[in-house]
Amino acid sequence: MSNLSMSNLPTRELPTSDLPTRELAIDARAVKKTYGSGNLAYEALRGVDFRVQRGEFVMLAGPSGSGKTTLLSILGCVLGATSGDLALFGRQVTGVPERKLPALRLDLIGFIFQGHNLLASLSARENVALPLQLRGVPVSRSLREADALLDRVGLGDKTKSLAAELSGGQRQRVSIARALAGNPPIVLADEPTAALDAQSGLLVTELLREVSRERGDTVVVVTHDNRIFHLADRIVQIEDGRIVDSLEHAPSPVARAATSPEIS
Amino acid sequence: MSATTSRRASLALRLRAMSRVGVRMMFHDKAKLLGTVLGVVFAVVLAVQQLSILFGLLDKNTMFVEHAGADVWIGPPGTEQFQPGEPLSDTIVTRARTTPGVALAEPLVVAGATVKRPNGGSEAVTLIGTALPSRLGGPWNFVAGDTRALAQPDTVVFEDAERAKYGDMDLGAVREVNGRRVRAGGFTWGLLPFGPAYAFANIDLVRDIARTPTDKQSFVLVTVRPGESAEVVRDRLAARLPEASVLTTRDFASAIVSALLREQLGVSFGTSTAFGLVIGFIIVALSMFSSVIDNLREFGTLKAIGCTNLDLTALLLVQSVTYALVGTLVGLGLVSGMTEGIRSPQLVPIVPLPLYGIIPCLMVLVCIAAASLALFRIRKLEPGMVFR
Repeated sequence: MSNLSMSNLPTRELPTSDLPTRELAIDARAVKKTYGSGNLAYEALRGVDFRVQRGEFVMLAGPSGSGKTTLLSILGCVLGATSGDLALFGRQVTGVPERKLPALRLDLIGFIFQGHNLLASLSARENVALPLQLRGVPVSRSLREADALLDRVGLGDKTKSLAAELSGGQRQRVSIARALAGNPPIVLADEPTAALDAQSGLLVTELLREVSRERGDTVVVVTHDNRIFHLADRIVQIEDGRIVDSLEHAPSPVARAATSPEIS
Repeated sequence: MSATTSRRASLALRLRAMSRVGVRMMFHDKAKLLGTVLGVVFAVVLAVQQLSILFGLLDKNTMFVEHAGADVWIGPPGTEQFQPGEPLSDTIVTRARTTPGVALAEPLVVAGATVKRPNGGSEAVTLIGTALPSRLGGPWNFVAGDTRALAQPDTVVFEDAERAKYGDMDLGAVREVNGRRVRAGGFTWGLLPFGPAYAFANIDLVRDIARTPTDKQSFVLVTVRPGESAEVVRDRLAARLPEASVLTTRDFASAIVSALLREQLGVSFGTSTAFGLVIGFIIVALSMFSSVIDNLREFGTLKAIGCTNLDLTALLLVQSVTYALVGTLVGLGLVSGMTEGIRSPQLVPIVPLPLYGIIPCLMVLVCIAAASLALFRIRKLEPGMVFR
């Protein structure tokens, strides 16, 4: 992995020290989601309260069908909740018209998908540059920033490769770079290691944790890969649409700073 | 800038980004690109070829009117075709000559006749007799001989493409036309209307062959004096000749075209042209729809990372316009080559210059309409599908 200086990377305009203490990045309250109706109704989430502080690296774990991906979809504003409230960095998402959600996603959220979901026709750097261009960054600058991000995830020599020319681990690293492009303060990852072998899965998650920590990003990872649990600040267990457990690991420096009373 | 402040690009920048992605997606799936472009090419070739043949056929039927050298035509009442009808009397010629603004008013005799082949059998011709062959109603497009030949007695200028049908006729060959012996004084190229080929002779010879009285003619060809308007002279003639049809050359050609389209060619060529466009529409629509279905996850991803329906609409529109323009360019190139290839005395396909502008615009509209099915699917696509 490259150890290039962070000066090559796009910088967040709001430094960690400027953030208010105990800032909640994600504040979901009594979130319910029901699919279908009548006799076919299926309650995927049964009143979930879920809060994540800025800079936390949280893993959502649970068996298949427990509701963790549904919760991630609602947090990512790609799926509406049946009831409940959601706020991201204090910005109310509940009730926001659907036509305004793309802008909100663009502003706040970077996605990492299970199947990486890179655009097959674009090179690695073009995939990473696209969210930047949607944010109005000129093409040449967006490509430079994409190159720097790819360099940071260890793919400085693969910037012009198409997705088909990359290994699974490399694709997921491109996906991480794309999620981080434009400095979204929240990164949501859905089973990022599912399509990878154990070694690659661990490396990719370590990389995500490392880079997000450098930047102070809030990360929520849906997984049932217990080999990566040790990388989480907190593991939230979800079963049958309810959060049943929340196990705290050693808190991240950023999260610790954000929650520390001495700093306030 | 705080995390809650919108950092969305301007519409123009987003559309540019989407255009780039759209074109890259197109060229990534080369098989689909080829199939879609071929669909457009097929539609353009079919539609334009049909139109070029239609224009060629229409030209065959208006060419004499347009080449005769007249500004105004006087014909039997209700004239819509260049065919002999109720003969016109000499009085009409005289009155035309004395109408203000008229420079020349010359009779023209048109008559059906048959050329007897030396080895038996006969072939029909349309005889055209004119008094001033070098100025009004004479032949053109000579491949052998010239108009001076018509000054020779018993001389006829025939169509080169029909020589074999007339019994391998050569220059100077003698044939019987309606039983009258004439000599081939020259040959023209491509003077073949829907009916029998044109054959030109002096007006007196044609009257003799067709047994037309010397005081009767099929049409009167009029030229106007310099500075006079054909329309004004037409109106004057029409006022003085209520028993005849008076048309400017342009009116007459338009009347012929209208009659042919109305009675014979319009429906058949219109149907095949529309068929070509519909085929193009269907191919492009299916191809774009299948491309969207194949790449549904990519479109879902684009929505998830912040693209709006408008962004994706722009992406599809760029693709459809690119398909239309590339396909039309190739199609028009092919048609141009094909029209040269099938050019013959019987048919000279014509692609009018404005068609080179109209067809790309039409195909852009067809392709945009064809993209609507794909667009509908994308608009319905939920970004949440990326997590399923």
